[in-house]
Order: sequence, then structure tokens, then C-alpha cells
Amino acid sequence: MSRWFGYDQRSAAILVFPVVAVLLAVAAFPILYSFWISLHDIVLTRPLRRPFVWFENYGRVFEDPRFWVAVWRTTVYTVVTVVVTTILAVLVALLLNETFPGQRVLSALLLLPWATPSVVNGLMWKWIYDPNYGLLNGLLLQAGLIERYRVWLGDPDLTLLLVANAATWKQMPLAALLLIVTMKAIPDDLYRAAKVDGATVFQRFVHITLPALRPGLMLVLVYETMLSIRHFDLFLIMTQGGPDDATFVMSWLVYVETFRSLRFGTGAAMAYILAMATFLLSWAFIRFLGKRL
Amino acid sequence: MATIRCDALTKRYGAVTAVDALDLTIAHGEFMVLLGPSGCGKTTTLNMIAGLEEISDGRLLFDEADVTWQPPHKREVAMVFQSYALYPNKTVFENIAFPLRLRGVPREQIDRAVRQAADQLEIAHLLERRPHQLSGGQRQRVALGRAIVRKPSVFLMDEPLSNLDATLRLSMRSLIKRLHHGLGATFVYVTHDQAEAMTLADRIAVMRGGLIQQLDTPDGIYARPANLFVASFLGSPQINLVEGAVEDGGVFARGAFRLPLPAGLGAPGRQVILGLRPEDVGPPGEGLATLHARVELVSPLGSETHLEVRATGEVPLTLRVPKEWRAREGDLIEVGVAPERLHLFDRASEARIA
Amino acid sequence: MALRSGPPLAPRIGRGLLLALFSALFVLYVAGPVGWLVSSSLQTEAQITAVPPNWLPPDPTFANFEAIFTAADREVTYETRRQGDPATGGFLPSGAANLLPSLWNSLTVGLWVAVLNLLLSLTAAYAIAVIDFRGRRSVLYTVLATRVIPDIALVVPLFLVVRNLGLINSLGALVVTYLAVTVPFTIFILISYFEGIPRDLYRAARIDGCGHWGALRHVYLPLSLPALVASLTFAFLTSWNEFVFALVLTQNVAAQTLPIVISGFIMDFTTSFSFVNAAGVIAIVPPVLMAIVFQRYIVSGLTAGAVKG
Repeated sequence: MSRWFGYDQRSAAILVFPVVAVLLAVAAFPILYSFWISLHDIVLTRPLRRPFVWFENYGRVFEDPRFWVAVWRTTVYTVVTVVVTTILAVLVALLLNETFPGQRVLSALLLLPWATPSVVNGLMWKWIYDPNYGLLNGLLLQAGLIERYRVWLGDPDLTLLLVANAATWKQMPLAALLLIVTMKAIPDDLYRAAKVDGATVFQRFVHITLPALRPGLMLVLVYETMLSIRHFDLFLIMTQGGPDDATFVMSWLVYVETFRSLRFGTGAAMAYILAMATFLLSWAFIRFLGKRL
Repeated sequence: MATIRCDALTKRYGAVTAVDALDLTIAHGEFMVLLGPSGCGKTTTLNMIAGLEEISDGRLLFDEADVTWQPPHKREVAMVFQSYALYPNKTVFENIAFPLRLRGVPREQIDRAVRQAADQLEIAHLLERRPHQLSGGQRQRVALGRAIVRKPSVFLMDEPLSNLDATLRLSMRSLIKRLHHGLGATFVYVTHDQAEAMTLADRIAVMRGGLIQQLDTPDGIYARPANLFVASFLGSPQINLVEGAVEDGGVFARGAFRLPLPAGLGAPGRQVILGLRPEDVGPPGEGLATLHARVELVSPLGSETHLEVRATGEVPLTLRVPKEWRAREGDLIEVGVAPERLHLFDRASEARIA
Repeated sequence: MALRSGPPLAPRIGRGLLLALFSALFVLYVAGPVGWLVSSSLQTEAQITAVPPNWLPPDPTFANFEAIFTAADREVTYETRRQGDPATGGFLPSGAANLLPSLWNSLTVGLWVAVLNLLLSLTAAYAIAVIDFRGRRSVLYTVLATRVIPDIALVVPLFLVVRNLGLINSLGALVVTYLAVTVPFTIFILISYFEGIPRDLYRAARIDGCGHWGALRHVYLPLSLPALVASLTFAFLTSWNEFVFALVLTQNVAAQTLPIVISGFIMDFTTSFSFVNAAGVIAIVPPVLMAIVFQRYIVSGLTAGAVKG
């Protein structure tokens, strides 16, 4: 009896209860409810009829060509964002790990993008990309790289990358921070020994820094992927899925289906598929990580 | 009154049993030492007595009252840690006063009690400092102060001297012994240092692998070790151990090496291990067996000399001899051994035969 | 890779040059876009629409900010919109008057979330990190697992539930939602930090007479300042920046938070750019201030357990 009602168990129950209650209410319950919805044919334009259709919605989603477009777009977007973010984060981490005058100030600046709200981020870059008055056009024109102003966000080939750029800008700081901390744990002696052995700067990087960064890099890759798959705010602000479906990612698909077409049933099914994909990916990553570390 | 009784006390971590059905009764005012190598379960046992570890099986009784499920802050025990565990953000005064403050003791009383404890431990001049400004020895005194200020009936100590340097350790050892006499409380002391155990304990519980190997007074443990492990663990330099067999006529034999055993010890043919403490040798004489050996290494310590020798049959031994003995490498010497001082252990079970 | 020894000189100059170059690039990349945002907010509509653009405001003016703060006093109709005013020279978004109230909403929600988050996660993190209780692992995994689900998957059912409870447009619903969103991360931060605090201190406190509340108050709380600051900052920033849940759970203007109002401006095609940029600057000031002021704590609080963890 005391095993379950001893002082420790009771205290822990009381201390943990509020958090568990909030999470159950706001996260767990909606997740289950969402699944329940996805099993019904619910369209808000005819709210009174909501037949139970088992997994029909899921079938419809997989047959919907937009779904596969969205999957492809999301994949491209995620890969680009994660790769660029990670590379930039490594470079920034290398820079800020050095000691030089002003390093403190630069490190403080690093948090600037992280603190920026995603809405403002979208606004900022949309203004930079503006076809008539934007900074990008102005810069490139003055540098002689283009002849006249272009409509950047109207170019289907470029838009996804432009949005990825905005996302990278905001996400890089946290990744860089994680890498800096990992780097600081590398003992100086390793580098001194390497220098004595005659290693060049590049060789020291490849043989000492990179291997030591492995766990940090893995963590960054996983975290960034999890985030990028779900990005939504930027797409709402900057491109709304266009132009020509160039930025039609999975989260946008869910939004459109649920809030514009008002088909809650299939919308929930899509959301659930996205959630499952994210979950499986993170689970796979963690298993992969667990073996490598 | 503060008797502590462990009744089949057990601690399991998953598949690993750290403490295995321990039975131990500690009398009121006794200084009990739990002695053993790291991983033997002595600290776990102490933590169970303190209430810091949940007991997997068995019971714990304080004055015959079952406290198995009583949380640590309700048990009236005091504890001193190897790492001192002083609150870094509080002054020395506040550290020592903390237990009294928690009990709602009025301010003037706290003041008096803290100063009294500080005077007793000679740290009164440090009361306004913070732990990071103190040396190791000073920190340990503050930890002791925090413990004694409550005038508890039970004192628990987890290797409190292990982090101190050698000379400090000795002076702290006598301080602890004096505290025990002065306070008359029950002390339970955990250590891996056998010298500490021998000098401080009323009784020692030698532990290994979660089990008590022997429970006895220091003399008893030293003079009559219950098994090979206990015999090897206590005594510095370590006891000499020689594998061999008992022959007809009550003689220990290993090749050419022979020593007569006390009467009635061991059936002939039995496989045994002989134990000889380095200090149990002297000049050859009446009633003593004689050992012939060749000196290989001489280590003078000033107060005594250690000799590493090869006895008959190439048996290596370490001997402790008075500093007046002049021996050099290569010398052949003769030493006398009293058969009663020999220890005999069964080779298979490692248990004491006599 | 810290080179601290003396000669030779040439590589040292080379290193200095490289560092200077990369530092400049870094500053440009990180601060450039924001700088452009600020610069645009200090220009008039006429200046902003120049081609090529003015990098620095030729004649910095706070008129845009003035327009924001006085927007409530103005009536914005189709006519007045066209006229705008001399500074903005263009069009005020029809939702301009909502900017200030939404600022207050965001502030209120942010502060509530920060404080409540700390209360909730401190207690839970202590229990998980310090108390060995049955079900400990399950609780931890469950808490962390709730963050694996993307927000969009939660939005629809949450919307339905909140609507059925009649709590649409209530800031309270937002606060509770944001708590659920931020708590897993702050619990993680606090647990990592707590695990770095020597266990013997906890033991000493329990022996001295502290129950779990006492141990939390006397040992873990005083020694966790960086992690506490990091958690508060993270909770505030997340709720200040949050968009999707606010979009769905608040429908009328009285309850909307800052990001929603600003997004309304952007999607309004005929809006004055300088005005919108000024709104962006206002939205960016509190989080950036917090990040810079608490930077030291944020870094040490976030990363205490990260390397080992």
C-alpha cells in the first residue's frame, strides 16, 4: 500500500497534476478528438449530416492529387531549409567560438532573428522581396546583376526557396547556439596536439571539430526537420500556397481544406497524416541517433 | 533511546540487488562502522536508514517502531556527507541554523545553539562566510555543526573524511571520536578506510556484494576474520596468503614450505589457504615454528621496516619487523611464528576454519 | 580553435582579416533585414517608394508611429483612407485602430503565460528530476510527446472544443493553449538544469527537515536562476509570437493579438508600407529587448544540460 501512497508518490502526484491536466485537456484530448473527426464525413456547409465513414476520408486524401503535390513541396522545402540552416549554423558557430574583440556583441546579436515573431519575419522578407520597392530589387539593380525589377514572389521556381530563406534566417540562431555549446566542450588540448603534429586549419576542422560536433549536429538536424515540416505562418503571410501551387505545402493543404473548403473530415484526416508522418520521422531519427551516439 | 534495527533490509535496482536481506541491530549510543569496498552496499544501507532510498524489502525499525515508510524529514537523524553538501547561497551561520529554523525554533535559541556548536568546532570566526570561501576541513566542520546543532539521537556519516588530506583526516578522526563520547548518540559511519574503521568503531560490519561478511568488534574482526575477504581487507600491509593443504600431523604444507598448525585444526588432505599477518613474526624461539627465508626487498619506514622475502619453497611473504633489525637484500634470515597466530581458511568456501 | 600564441605575424593578420570579414557578413545577415525594417519605418511613404530605395532614412520621422498611436482617434472610412495623412501619404489599413489594443492583448497573454508556465513547470520538473516515483518515465515521455504533434493538427479539434465551451475570443483560452504549447520545452530546460545540481544538497535538505516543497524552495529554486529566466523568456516570446492558435481562437477584433492584426495589414493590398513596417517594429521591440537583456541567462539556462543530454 505504502508503495503507492507513500510520501514521495503523493507529493509527485500533486506536483505533476497541473501540468498533466493542462496537457491532457489541450493536447491529448484534441488529438483523440481529431482522429474521431477524421472518421466522419463532416462538411460545414451541410452541418447537420455527419455520417460515420470509417477510413474513407483517408482514402480520399491519398487519391487527391493535391496531397502528393503537397508532400513533394514539403519534402523539397524541408530538405532545403534544414541543409542551409545547418550549414549556416556551423559557420556561425565557428565564428562565434573564436575569441576576438566584439565577440560578445555579435553573440548578443545572434538572438535577434530568434526573437522576431514569424509574422514580422514574413512581413520583413515580403517587403524585401517587394516587386516595386523592395530591397532585393534595389540591391541587385545597383550591383548590376539584374536589368529591371522582378516580381520575386511571383516566380514559381524561386518562391519556395525564398520562403525557405526567411525560415532559415529565423531558425539558424538556435541551431548555432546548440553547436557553440557543443564546441566549447571540445578540449583545447586536442587542437594543440594537432597543431604540433602539423595539421592545417582545415585538417583540424575535419578531424577534430566535425567528429566532436556529431551529436550536436544530429540534434540540430532532427529539431530543424521537425520544425520545418510544420511551417505555416510564413506561407500564410508571404505566398498563400502560390504562385501556381509553388508553395503548396502540407500544412497549407490542411489549412485550405479545413478553413476554406470547410471539409473538416478530410481536413482532419490530412492533419492526422501529417502528424503521423512527423511522429514516425522523429521516432526513426531517434532510433538512428541512438545507434550513432 | 535510539536503537536501529534492520530486518532483512533489501534494496534492488531492477535486476541488481545492492543490499541483500541485511540483518543488523545497532544499540543505543553505539559507534557502528559499515566497512567495505566501493559497490558493497554500505552507502545504500546508510541511505535506507536515512530514508533517502526507498526500501525494496524488509523492515527498518527505530526503537522497535516501524519507520520503513517514514520520509527522511520526519526521522530525527542527522547526516554528514563526503561532499559536505553545504548550501552555497547561505552563510555558515545560516547553514548551521537551517535545521532549527525549519522546526520553528525561536531566534534567540537558534543563535545560542549555533554559537555553541561553532565554538565546540572552533569555527566561530567563520560564521559570516560562505562555503566557497572555506577550506575542505572548515567545510566539514560546518557540516558537523549543522548535524550536532539539532542534538539528534542518530548520526549518519557517509565517508566524511575521504575528501580531506592525510593529516587533516587524522585530526578530524579524533574530533569525531570526541564528539561521539560527548554526545552519547548512536553513530553509523560508512567508510572504505580500514584504519578509520578500526580506530573509531565499537563494532564493525564488513560488507561485500550487499551482504555482511562479519559483524564484530574491531579486535574480533582483526584477530578472527570470518573469511578470506575480511582477512585481506583489514591489515596493512595485507595479510600473507599461501595456498596449500593440511598434512598428517596437523601441518600446513605447500611444497617445501611447512608450518605446524595448532592442535586439531583441519582434517588431513583438506585444501586450505594459510594466513599470516606480517606483524605476527619475531625472533625464533621456544614453542615457535621457524621460517627460513631469503630477503628480496627492504623498505625501511622509519618506525618499522617491511621486508619482502622468499620463504622455503619460493613462497613470497611480506614481514613487518622492528626498525632495529638490520637485514639486507640477499640475507638469509630465520623468523619465529606462533602457530596460534596462524589463520586457516577453506580454499573452496574461503571461510575460516579456526 | 583558439590561437593564443605569438608570432608569426602574417597568419595573425590573416586571421584578423578573416574574422573581420566574416563578422561583417554575419552582422549584415543577422541585423540587416531588421535594420531595413527599422529604416523603412522611419521614412515617409514617398521616401519609401523611391527607386532605387533609400538605405538610410534621409530625414527620419516618427510620423508612422504617431499614426499608429493615434489611429484609434481617427475614423477610417473609404474617403479618409484615400487621403491618408501627409506623413503616411498613403493608406491606413482599416484595422489600424486595432493595433494598440492588440498590443495590450499580446502583452497580457504573454505575461500570464510566462508566470503560469513557470509555476506549472517548476513543480513538475522538480518532481520528475528529483523524486523517484512510479510512472515517472511515462509522465516525462507523455509531456515531451505532446510537442511532436504539429499545431495544425490540434487547431481544428481545439477550435471545436473551445467553441462548444463558448470560450472563443477569450484570452483565457489562449493562455491555457499557450501553456500547453510552452510547458514541455520549459520542463525540459528545468529538468536538465536540476540534474546539474548536486544530489547531496537535496539529501542534506531532506535530512535537515525539508519536505519536497522545502527542497524545491531552499535548494533547487535559488540555484536555478538562469534556467528560470530562460523559461520565462521562452514562454513570453512564444506566446507573443504565436500565430496559428490565435488566428483560429479569436474572431473578433477586441480579442486579437498583435500577430493577427499585423497579418491583417499585410494581406490588405492597399496598405501604406511605411505604416506596416512601423507596426512590425513595434511588434519586434519587446521580444528583442527581452532577448538582449536576458541573453546571458538564456544561454546558460538553455544549455546547462544540452551537452550532456
